[in-house]
Amino acid sequence: MAFVVIMPKQGQSVESCIITEWNKKKGDLVKKGEILFAYETDKASFEEEAAVEGMLLELFYETGDEVPVLTNVCVIGAPGEPVDAFRPGGARAETIETVEIKEIKETIGAIGTSPVSQSAGTGAISPRAKNLAEKEGVQFDSIAGSGPGGRIIEQDVKAVIDSHPKTTPLARKIAGEEQLLPSSTGSGLGGSVKAKDLTAPNPIYANDFEIKKLSNMRKLIAKTMHQSLQNSAQLTHHLGADARRMLELRRKVKKANDNGYPVNITLNDMVCFAVVKALRKFPQANAHFLGDSVKYFNKIHLGIAVDTDRGLMVPAIRNADDLSIQGLSNQMREIAVSCRKGAINPELLSSEAASFTVSNLGNYGVEMFTPVINLPQVGILGVNTIVPRPKDLGDGAYGFVPFIGLSLTYDHQALDGGEATRFLKQIATEIENLEFEL
Amino acid sequence: MSTTFDLAIIGGGPAGYVAAERAGKKGLKVVLIEKGELGGVCLNEGCIPTKTLLYSAKIYDNAVASSKYGVDTKEVTFDFSKMMARKQKVVKKLVGGVGMKMKEHHVEVIKDSAYIKGRSAEGIAISVGGKEVVATNLLICTGSEAFMPPIPGLGAPGDLILTNREILELKERPESLVIIGGGVIGLEFASFYNSLGTKVTIIEMLDEILTGMDREMSEMLRKEYTKKGITFNISAKVTEVKGNEVFFEKGGKTTSVTGEKILVSVGRKPNTAGFGLENIGVELNRGGIKVDEKMRTNVPNVFAAGDVTGFSLLAHTASREGEVVVNNLTGRNDQMRYNAIPGVVYTNPEFSGVGLTEESAKAQNIEYKVAKLPLAFAGRFIAENEGGIGLCKVLIGAKYGEVLGVHILGNPSGEIIYGASMAIEMEMTIKEMEEVIFPHPTISEIFKETIFSF
Repeated sequence: MAFVVIMPKQGQSVESCIITEWNKKKGDLVKKGEILFAYETDKASFEEEAAVEGMLLELFYETGDEVPVLTNVCVIGAPGEPVDAFRPGGARAETIETVEIKEIKETIGAIGTSPVSQSAGTGAISPRAKNLAEKEGVQFDSIAGSGPGGRIIEQDVKAVIDSHPKTTPLARKIAGEEQLLPSSTGSGLGGSVKAKDLTAPNPIYANDFEIKKLSNMRKLIAKTMHQSLQNSAQLTHHLGADARRMLELRRKVKKANDNGYPVNITLNDMVCFAVVKALRKFPQANAHFLGDSVKYFNKIHLGIAVDTDRGLMVPAIRNADDLSIQGLSNQMREIAVSCRKGAINPELLSSEAASFTVSNLGNYGVEMFTPVINLPQVGILGVNTIVPRPKDLGDGAYGFVPFIGLSLTYDHQALDGGEATRFLKQIATEIENLEFEL
Repeated sequence: MSTTFDLAIIGGGPAGYVAAERAGKKGLKVVLIEKGELGGVCLNEGCIPTKTLLYSAKIYDNAVASSKYGVDTKEVTFDFSKMMARKQKVVKKLVGGVGMKMKEHHVEVIKDSAYIKGRSAEGIAISVGGKEVVATNLLICTGSEAFMPPIPGLGAPGDLILTNREILELKERPESLVIIGGGVIGLEFASFYNSLGTKVTIIEMLDEILTGMDREMSEMLRKEYTKKGITFNISAKVTEVKGNEVFFEKGGKTTSVTGEKILVSVGRKPNTAGFGLENIGVELNRGGIKVDEKMRTNVPNVFAAGDVTGFSLLAHTASREGEVVVNNLTGRNDQMRYNAIPGVVYTNPEFSGVGLTEESAKAQNIEYKVAKLPLAFAGRFIAENEGGIGLCKVLIGAKYGEVLGVHILGNPSGEIIYGASMAIEMEMTIKEMEEVIFPHPTISEIFKETIFSF
């Protein structure tokens, strides 16, 4: 009389087990107590012994298959006895389906929980295999699984461990905890991998990225910049201003500095000074666009973009129109220093604090860019590097003249192209005719 | 007329003869050049003769103390000349054994001085005894010799002033012995002559004897020997030697002590001169030959091993260094590791250690945990060491619990310390060590007991 072997239920929560090894094959004679097959749950591995003597008539599953508990696995009996009655009818197809669903879940779970578990290919790995891999510090993303659908099972991980050079217990511990990999050749006994032979995973082929949480400051910048582009109609005009006058003034300042003059007026200070002068003549650019109304400022509060270690900061210089160029220069320097130190008054950083903003990338050699408006301001001036450009010097003579690039981004909701251009041209004129006493 | 070899070795000490044996076994054509006896300092005037004498002293100590164990002996006496004769016999036997091994592995031994002539496309040319040998590879293991410090009045070694070499040739036991330098060599001779009733005085410049060994146990050992009658002067600087009188300064005061003999054991210096090293441009580093972790010198195909490199000065280090050279020459990638070299001081009790000491761990800013247990926690120690002292100390890494160092004071720690060397070499943590089975009852169990006390 044929005897059917079922997959035991190992514990209340276990729904299926994976057959990890068949010790007998179809047609083998088995004795009572001999091991038929080994199987594993997510927590432990077991061996199933033959309860009766006889011939192994049929195996319904293969190594690597996941078998629901209490399902028929194989049949022992006398040669020739029919076994079809025991075949899990249609259950096998269902099983495979279950496996696939579970695999997907596990892969999703793994990506979120552990940096080791990036699965490539089919990606699925049995929980026991995963435990072992993590304990031994084995990166399993490149292992070709031998389970159903390429699922990685425990013996696949074991094979990888065996093919590696021996790793000392300390190296294993450190590899597991610090996500390091053993190098292919060790410096220890018989070439074993010691703690000092561990290396970080290959930056090109393995962990080629790192996910970091945004700092609050970054979040804030991201939000404002995105909102600016979403909630305005901004575009940029580019124009060059003859920089000869400015460069000459700069030379004078340098010379004066050498003779003890206390204020080092930079090109940027001069541009900002010119912008303030232009804004006086174009109050429509010194404004906030509020949707159904426009707020025109009587005073000029100049926002200055400052590059710091923590990110971009745009503090405002209040009442910039009251300042001489020396005063403006001093304030710009002080405010930049307090930004970099993190000591800036937060109220000055608010985008409402400034009525117009200047962002200077000329130092870095940028020739043209499209600065993003700090809403609700209606414009921002990008200052570019100085480049020599051919210019008609009169009488058909051309010469190379240094030009400073100016990029004005404005909100077309508040300003039209004509006004914006005239304003930009005014800035250029102010730059070209800059006048101040040292 | 020249003969060509795969490997020429200059120096037949523990680095040279072991390398020759291993290389011969692997089928290399090897020539070993030694101007004195095979075995080097270790076999002829170091490790082996001293251990032979120390064993005689230990037998004598045990016989004197036998009543503690319920054994009565008649008056116990010793015969110094018989001890020395036995030492000669042991040395001769072992030196002969090395010679046999060389024959067995087809190593050609040339007993003469070597002189390196130069390097050409054919290999390295060495002249030896009027002949010339040419070898593809050269291993230099010319060893070291006792360093004689520049102390006013200190003459060359001879009848009165002794180094490890002369003291082993004494015909009679001196009544008193002054030892300059309280390192391993000084302590072992102190132990021997102390057992035989010689009045021994040790003068050590540093503030503790046995620099480099565990400090706490060094102090225990010093106190034990103070009880046994040795006079220790630590933090004492020898300023002058006048005949039999040794003057030294300690705490601002100068005093003196006289000895029938004066042993100088302040250190050793590598032998790098007189055999043509300069002809192939071998680079030196702090007096020794500069080598990398594969024992390669700056000159291709030229290697150095043993004391001549100037840093470990232990026979077992030398042998292993020689093996590293041969392994790499014969296709097995190998490199020298210095973190698990055991050291044994053959005093009574023995003092052994391997790996980091608390002092060296602190100096390297390595975070560690330490556990220590008296050897009396091992049953066999109580049974065999009536009134004996002993301590076992284990250092592990603070984070992962790997064995960093093990230090044992007590007999026969020299025989069991290798277990700790293996643990360190294999980077075992206390978790693995806890699963190792130690035989019971043995003194080695103290290692396990100490591990379990973390």
